[in-house]
Formats: sequence, structure tokens, C-alpha cells
Amino acid sequence: MKNRYLVRGPITPLLISELLTLGNDDAGTGAVSIFIGRVRDDEIDGKRVNAIEYSAYDEMVVKEADGITGTIKSAFSDVRSVIILHSTGVVRAGEASLFIMVTSGHRDHGTRACRHALEMVKERLPIWKKELF
Amino acid sequence: MGEEIRVLYFGTARETTGKNEELLTAEDTADLRHQLIQKYPALGKIPFRMALNKELLKADAPLNNNDIIAILPPFQGG
Repeated sequence: MKNRYLVRGPITPLLISELLTLGNDDAGTGAVSIFIGRVRDDEIDGKRVNAIEYSAYDEMVVKEADGITGTIKSAFSDVRSVIILHSTGVVRAGEASLFIMVTSGHRDHGTRACRHALEMVKERLPIWKKELF
Repeated sequence: MGEEIRVLYFGTARETTGKNEELLTAEDTADLRHQLIQKYPALGKIPFRMALNKELLKADAPLNNNDIIAILPPFQGG
């Protein structure tokens, strides 16, 4: 992990299984809402995307993701934790490049907060992609 | 004259300028933007925003010595 929001390469099933255990000691959590974004093998100008290379302004990602986490917790009082993880470097089609997990007491705030966090990640995190064919 | 600042390039701005970063002198962000587009005309075709010391700018701002300006093409995460 480059910092708590960025990981080099794909977000592997092994890493996801480890992330799922976070907050297990918080018995007040009744709902875990997750979004996983994967690289699609889109066709662009007749060529099939084989992978995407992500780059980021690391320090600003930390500042913005801290802000997103704070905003989510303020807006959804039932939310207990927010995890945001994005890939940098090369991620092949079919592999995961984004992981968002929100734990909450109940499902309503959790699912809405997860969706809201996703939209803010796309809008606010300084991350760029380059398609590799 | 002006303030010496560090300019960081990201995304397609990196390919356009051929640089990851450089030191430049500018009075304010409007002056910097003007200089950049003169120096790298292709940058004028990218709808980039700027961050001053990691803070996304919504309007032009004055610059101080050792400020860090990041040139940010549209974000593409997710």
C-alpha cells in the first residue's frame, strides 16, 4: 500500500478478503455495504482495452479522501467506518481497481453512504487513467 | 519578476509537456496559466484545473515563493 487510500496494482481477492475483516471487532455494525469497480475490456477505435494504467497525485488523494470520509460520516449518522481504496499502476481487464466499504448500524445509511462515497471518489480524487491495448 | 513555484504535471498534461514537474516563476495563477499555454500550446486544448498546495482552485490566486501548483486534467478515477 502506498498510503491508506492507494495500492500499487490490482485490488486482489486476497486483499479484499482482508479488507472485509476490518471492523469485525465492532459488534454495533449490522450492515457492510461494498462497491467494487473493475476494469472493463471496452472497445475504443476498434481496439480492445487490455488494461488500464492509473496515476495519481498521491498527497492530494489523501487530503481529498480524508475529506470524503469526513463528509460521509457527517451526512450519515449511522455510518461507523468508511474505507476507500484505489489502484495505481497497471490493472488488467477483469481486475478490481476501486474498493469502497461502509460499515453502519443498519442498511439504509450504509447503502446510501456507499453510493455517495463512490460519486465523490469519481468527482474529487485526482486520479488519471491511460488505456493499454 | 514573480514568485518561484514548483509546477507538477499529471495525466495527459504529463504527456503534453513531457515533464513530471519543473520550476517556474509567475506572479499569480492567471500569469502561470498564460505562460504555460504559450510554452506548451497543446496544453491549451486540455480543460485543466489547478491545485495550489493540494487545494483545488476555484478562482485565480496569488502565488508565494515555494508554492506547489499541480496541473490537473479532468479526473478519471473509479
